[in-house]
Amino acid sequence: MTPRARWHPWAMLVPTLGLLVAFFLAPIGVAAYESLFSWDLLTPPRFVGTSNYAALAAHGELLHIALRTIAYSTMVVAGTMSLGLALALLVDRPGRFFAFVRTSVFSAYVVSWVAVALLWMWMLDGNGGIFGRALHGSPLGDPRWALPTLAVVGVWKLTGYAMIVFLAGLQSVPRSLHEAAALDGASAWGRLRYVTLPLLAPTAAFVATTSLVTSFQAFDVVRIMTQGGPARATELFVYAVYEQIFLDLSVGRASALTVVFFGLLLALAALQLRVWRARAGVAR
Amino acid sequence: MTQRRSVTVLWVALGGVVLAAWLFPYAWMVVTSYKTLPEIMSHPTAPYAEHLDFGAYREVFATMPVARYTAVTAAMASAIAAAQIALALPAGYALAKLRFGGRRYAFGVVLACLLVPTQATFVPVFLMFAKTRLVNTMTALVLPFAASALGTFLVRQALLSVPDEIIEAARMDGASEWTIVYRIVAPMIKPTLVSLFLVSFVFHYSDYFWPLVMTTDDSVRTLPLGVALLREQGTGVRWNIVMAGNVVLSAPVLALFAVVQRHLLRAAGR
Amino acid sequence: MIARRDLLRASAALTMAGCAQRARPLREDGRLVVTFWYAYGDLVRKVLLDLVARFNASQSRIVVKAVHQGDYFEALAKLRTALAAGAAPTLSHVVLEVVPYLARAGVLEPLDAYEGARAMPFVAALDQRGSFAGADREPLVCIPFNRSTPIVFANARVLEDERVEIPRTWEELADAARRLTKRAANGETRWGFEVPISWWYWVAMVGQAGGRLVDPGGRMTLGGDAGVEALRFWQRLVREDHVMRPPPGRDYQAWQSSNESFLGGRIAMMWSSTAYVRYLEDNARFPVVAAPLPRHVRASVPTGGTMFVLLRSAPEEEKLAAWEFVRWMCDAEQTIAWSTRTGYLPVTRPAVDRLGQGRWYERHPNDRVAYDQLADAAPWPWSPELFRIDRDIVEPRLEDAVLTGRDARMLLEQARSDAERPA
Repeated sequence: MTPRARWHPWAMLVPTLGLLVAFFLAPIGVAAYESLFSWDLLTPPRFVGTSNYAALAAHGELLHIALRTIAYSTMVVAGTMSLGLALALLVDRPGRFFAFVRTSVFSAYVVSWVAVALLWMWMLDGNGGIFGRALHGSPLGDPRWALPTLAVVGVWKLTGYAMIVFLAGLQSVPRSLHEAAALDGASAWGRLRYVTLPLLAPTAAFVATTSLVTSFQAFDVVRIMTQGGPARATELFVYAVYEQIFLDLSVGRASALTVVFFGLLLALAALQLRVWRARAGVAR
Repeated sequence: MTQRRSVTVLWVALGGVVLAAWLFPYAWMVVTSYKTLPEIMSHPTAPYAEHLDFGAYREVFATMPVARYTAVTAAMASAIAAAQIALALPAGYALAKLRFGGRRYAFGVVLACLLVPTQATFVPVFLMFAKTRLVNTMTALVLPFAASALGTFLVRQALLSVPDEIIEAARMDGASEWTIVYRIVAPMIKPTLVSLFLVSFVFHYSDYFWPLVMTTDDSVRTLPLGVALLREQGTGVRWNIVMAGNVVLSAPVLALFAVVQRHLLRAAGR
Repeated sequence: MIARRDLLRASAALTMAGCAQRARPLREDGRLVVTFWYAYGDLVRKVLLDLVARFNASQSRIVVKAVHQGDYFEALAKLRTALAAGAAPTLSHVVLEVVPYLARAGVLEPLDAYEGARAMPFVAALDQRGSFAGADREPLVCIPFNRSTPIVFANARVLEDERVEIPRTWEELADAARRLTKRAANGETRWGFEVPISWWYWVAMVGQAGGRLVDPGGRMTLGGDAGVEALRFWQRLVREDHVMRPPPGRDYQAWQSSNESFLGGRIAMMWSSTAYVRYLEDNARFPVVAAPLPRHVRASVPTGGTMFVLLRSAPEEEKLAAWEFVRWMCDAEQTIAWSTRTGYLPVTRPAVDRLGQGRWYERHPNDRVAYDQLADAAPWPWSPELFRIDRDIVEPRLEDAVLTGRDARMLLEQARSDAERPA
């Protein structure tokens, strides 16, 4: 429809666009600019060109942070998607019992990360935790197991989201297709494989992308449970940025990390979308 | 489709396992909060407290101004959620219903922001607030989230299915654009708006990162920050107190969730 | 919908209300407010808040508002960012290693001109001049608050059962740890020795191995060979002898974990801070014995804890008020209360004398250990790079060496070259 006055649409959009640009787009540009300086917030900044990036790349630090974050994300996305789908298939049944199961699983998604992180820290505590004692020590103290443990906590919290989205996807598969396949003699498993799953591909793409973006931003769980340790085993991107700013007071390095972080996230999301779109296209 | 009895039993059993996996941690959290510290150190795996001891809760309420933190957090989350709806409505309306030059670019800006996480922006934003002396204020906590790319996107989606005739009729009746947006069209997408409010409220209520980096003052401290500080004891972690704090943090959110779960589940599935 | 408009208006008002930072100097009920950021939890926090309340009740011109900001490092992080944002408190306390850095950045208030600053009868090793080497020409910027040295805590009952004596040298320590480590059939272990893999304890061992962080020419040598020897000793205890377990968690999470394990009887001996003397004695179900750290080439310990600092950015009146509070805290009565209720060192000589006269140390011999160790206290170099080297360069490598077994010499060489590069 045509607006009643030329300025109407802009009046409606300017507050939103202004705030979005100011707080989301412009800061990325500013970070890129700040990454060329060395600044500790207390003394004037010094221009250092690309030496922040060089310092981060030295000793393979930047690469390790990127790999760890990708590893964590991969574990969480794979875990939540497979578990989410399995749970969706399980609880897609009528009745109050299954409704209660749905609500319980999703409740973990709703509760704050602080609560979840503290809760799991307690259960994994080597001295008094119910799992920690069985394992003879908290896995959070072992450099090999710390990151997978955080991934388990992430999966516990985020699976509910995947489950709900898959449920919506399952419920949008027309019954007629199921019935037609049943008439053709397909078993329950066959129906799942040839009717349901292909039609869920767009849903899966959506869940995968949003889970990837969410898990890439993991901070609270690291800050509360391991603070990046032991021996940097759980130093993920956002936590590394936080550490550079607040603990090492190096704004330039933090900005450089931010730029790399955002670039990597953008590339991964785009890549994932392309992969899924291709698969969904082939499936049709 | 009939299912054999044994298969049904299998599904229920599996459901039970899932239920246990997701509810057990909460139950454990509550049980721990009623124990005393010596109990925890001597019998850590005891399934219930010897007697209900409220010492942990007393300590939580003595150490933290729980009421104030909760009020601050709720006020912040409400302000954000309300602002988001107030801004997303006209923006979504303009993008969905009005034809104007540059609409595609405006929509592109909104989409681009969907990908930018707050963790990527906090450094420059913090510096900006530092320069304008707005650190430690509600402004720093609320303003960056007042516009929601996701909210604008969802409102636009919802408005696309509102018939144009209604708007045209309202125009012919002489209603101003503001009236149309807030009083005529908004009630028609009420489910979307309610879901948006709830999701936003819960998300920002539980937010740990942003308040952590934007505030140091106790007067604007939020509840998640206060509870997280319970862990930093310096001598030995007193888990019963930490878990009591956890219960205080999670119970309101879980209660709210139980009440509105139908809305939230529908929204997340969209 | 009227409701939505009102909601919008209300939220705008709320936002606007939180718009401005409050004007300084702050006043409340006619009293000057001194914001004091502190970094303790639990027992120490209680003692501190008690003392603050006592001060507030003892006069009516000043009220000290103490705000908890997490542990030392989180509080320091917030302090620095608050300084940049113009929202810093009047008074805080910081670890010694960061004082030179903050002094060079010009954010600390020089205290020489404040009333009584020069004449306070501090214990020699604990005030600014005694704690730092090469600080003679520096203006006074910090006042001792909670000061400590690392000490040994031992489970007296276990040592008696196993007939092991408190070790006095490194070799005795390795031997004792071996005899005290017991592995049960069900997989549980009682470890002979535990210490948080942390800069402070490593510096202690570097000193004991005869090294210094900074050579006489001012270069950061990180102890040279002594540094490598110290790190290798830890690696041997953990990875070869299997008598030591590195506690999980970073920074103070690891110290908390050690305390808990010790109280639970899962460790026979540990190194920790004298700050925990009272806590451990009160909560252990066995007698706790404290002892000085073992020697190697010589006996050496660093001092630790924090110092009071006033922030230069605060208004004059607030700084004067904060100084009054600091002086009050350094009065014998308060410093005695502080140290006897926690285990931290009493910071003034009159306080030490009074405790001696009151036969406190006879009743609480564990409290004496840290004080006696001051005879072997090694000062810190007054280097603005010290904190960065501690947190950013050395500490992660210590963890790395012990947890993954990489070569100690290579890691410390890397650390040295990193230390020489500008920030």
